[in-house]
Amino acid sequence: VTAEPDPAATRSGVFDDGLLGACISCGFCLPACPTYQLTQDERSSPRGRITLMRALQEGRLEPDDPTLREQSSFCLGCRACETVCPAGVQYGALLEQWRDHQWRGVHTPPAVAALRAGVRVTAGLAAAGRVRGAAWTTGRPLPGRVHLMLGCAERALFPGVSKAVRRLLPEVDVPAGQGCCGALHAHNGASGQGASMAAELGRALPGLVLTTAGGCAAHLVNHLGRDRVRELSEYLVELWTDGAAPALRPLTVQGRPVRVALQDSCHLRNGMAVTAQPRDLIARVAEYVELPSAGTCCGAAGTYSLLRPADSRAVLDVKLDEIEAAGVDHLAVVNPGCQRQLIEGLKRRRSRVRVLHLAELLALALPATSEP
Amino acid sequence: VLLPRTAEQVAAILALATEHRIPVTPRGAGSNLAAATIPEHGGIVLALTRMTTVREVSSAELLAVVEPGVPTATLAAAAAAQGLLYPPDPGSRTVSTVGGNVATCAGGLRGLKYGVTRNYVLGLEAVLPTGEIIRTGGRLWKDVAGYDLTRLLTGSEGTLAVITEATVGLLPMPATSRTQVAYFDQLADAGRAVAQIIAGGLLPATLEFLDRRCINAVEDYARLGLDRQAGALLLFGDDGGGDLVSASLDRMAQTCTDLGARGVTLAQDVAASEALLTARRCSLPALARLAPITLLEDATVPRPRLAEMVDRIDAIADRHRVVCATFGHAGDGNLHPTIVFDPADGDARQRAEAAFGDIFGAALDLGGTITGKHGVGAAKRPWLTARLGADQVALLRRLKQAFDPAGILNPGKLGS
Repeated sequence: VTAEPDPAATRSGVFDDGLLGACISCGFCLPACPTYQLTQDERSSPRGRITLMRALQEGRLEPDDPTLREQSSFCLGCRACETVCPAGVQYGALLEQWRDHQWRGVHTPPAVAALRAGVRVTAGLAAAGRVRGAAWTTGRPLPGRVHLMLGCAERALFPGVSKAVRRLLPEVDVPAGQGCCGALHAHNGASGQGASMAAELGRALPGLVLTTAGGCAAHLVNHLGRDRVRELSEYLVELWTDGAAPALRPLTVQGRPVRVALQDSCHLRNGMAVTAQPRDLIARVAEYVELPSAGTCCGAAGTYSLLRPADSRAVLDVKLDEIEAAGVDHLAVVNPGCQRQLIEGLKRRRSRVRVLHLAELLALALPATSEP
Repeated sequence: VLLPRTAEQVAAILALATEHRIPVTPRGAGSNLAAATIPEHGGIVLALTRMTTVREVSSAELLAVVEPGVPTATLAAAAAAQGLLYPPDPGSRTVSTVGGNVATCAGGLRGLKYGVTRNYVLGLEAVLPTGEIIRTGGRLWKDVAGYDLTRLLTGSEGTLAVITEATVGLLPMPATSRTQVAYFDQLADAGRAVAQIIAGGLLPATLEFLDRRCINAVEDYARLGLDRQAGALLLFGDDGGGDLVSASLDRMAQTCTDLGARGVTLAQDVAASEALLTARRCSLPALARLAPITLLEDATVPRPRLAEMVDRIDAIADRHRVVCATFGHAGDGNLHPTIVFDPADGDARQRAEAAFGDIFGAALDLGGTITGKHGVGAAKRPWLTARLGADQVALLRRLKQAFDPAGILNPGKLGS
């Protein structure tokens, strides 16, 4: 038995003690964790990672121990562990604190540093959105209105999503001058910056913030509060109660209903418990098909697919097999990271399944007369 | 940490460990409610989690043969795929392993009607600390050749041998199951209803209770629409053929009403029953959110003493100024007094431990035990002599000596 180090002398102070103390090490999280399922290695499980965090906090491991660095980056950050945790451990918050430490200063992965810096420039984002043809912004925000947030990645990668929202919800404003919500920073070693960017966005978009990205929604909820944030599917389900919905026509292909599966957004599902709404909306316009792994991470996980491409694909492969076996026409997504990951994955397999954001799918079902 | 895949590897490890006097702590999923898998003396942690093959499920013989690392829920699903039931369903079944369940004799929500893990273990393959591989019992329900080592190893908490395969009995899957809820003003009334239900000739699959504090914690957490004014909630349910289940539930509902239940909620189908069972399943998460540290125990008393025991627990909690809520299995007297506290709050931990000491004392006083199914582990060793008496504890030591002459297997726990 090794001697306990003097706690006062060696404590790292990386973590909030209250958050770190909540874990009772019962292991209920292990079956929910994608990286534990891949490796069957305790260190790659939420319980194992919290044990590592505690070793870091108490000074029993060096601050840059290779296992700490590896496991803090190997974690997808999907937060599936939180939904099965009997003790209510806020694992997502702990991971943010861990990466703040592990990816500090010169330890920041170069791709992360570039992305974090790139999306800080609001004017640059606006230019990217204009070049790519995202929804037109409408100048100054109005208090008391609903404002669509244009995500930083989505504006550049999938401009069709915000345009589809404008068709579904013409009354929603899209103010100019809005920046990135900071989720990217919070999840990638700069949680302080992530928090201040969320606050900044909250000021730029007063009233209700509507977002098409599950990852942004959960981050904004953490910093602006649940009342001020709506993800698109929950907003539409609330708005389109009996009679209030536009006339959507069922989508068909070759005379039969279109078959559509869903990939949940991890943070939307695990952080905000929004699961029924996107399924409900798909079922209004198509035949909904539940994939066995619809609720588990696709491996995109923010910057993960860039930083750890091999692990990201290992997580994704199971899902691609399922999608191909399910005989679906479309796969709906509710987050741009998942959209990119699944488009790339299905393209590699030369699959004919088309990936669409939920907004794009619903816009296809609008009557032709409402074309702008 | 060693992760063997075969019994032969386990045998080689144990022979070496005995030769060199290295402590070995066998481990399943490590939910570790009684600190039974803490390697107090260092050495080797022998995790059986890579031995995950379901070797056989036989509907003709009503049994399954599995490796120790198979999760309990995986065994249950493999059985269900052939229309069979593996009845022990501990709360941790999605993570817990069959090996760990056998080593602790795990229980579950169906103990009254179906018994616990020991009632389903027909045979074991196990490795002795000295390296020999033995097979106890087998595929037979009737087999009295020799001492019943299968039962001895069941609940031995990894102190006598390492289980490398289990043959477990299965039952035909009941056609349906349903659950209902009754609220009472006092827990004692619920206790009387339980006694009356069983005296009336019913052996229900489910009889679970929550005390007032639990009801409120669950309601704060899950908003199920429970009656917050009630002193106790009783979940009762049964499984079997549809008509039988309906008749059984009607009689239980009538008994509860006759004994002064303030209300009975009837679930019309399986989905509604599942929703009611949620109240019981989320008791622990709901309580855990009240404070940073949650201590869960499993003191058990004879069924007729249940209400008296809960009264005593409440008095003990007041005396030690701790927040304690109690839920558990009314059918078999197995209680889960749960104390939550904030470690920053001065001597909260000491007060919680003192309260549990008194709770164990009260359980013994009422003819009960210090642990129904979580195990003794390191956590309850101080109370073991009070439960068993010095002579029996000495016999445990001699048994341990016979299996493990070098004392390498899970030292510091049972038999040490």
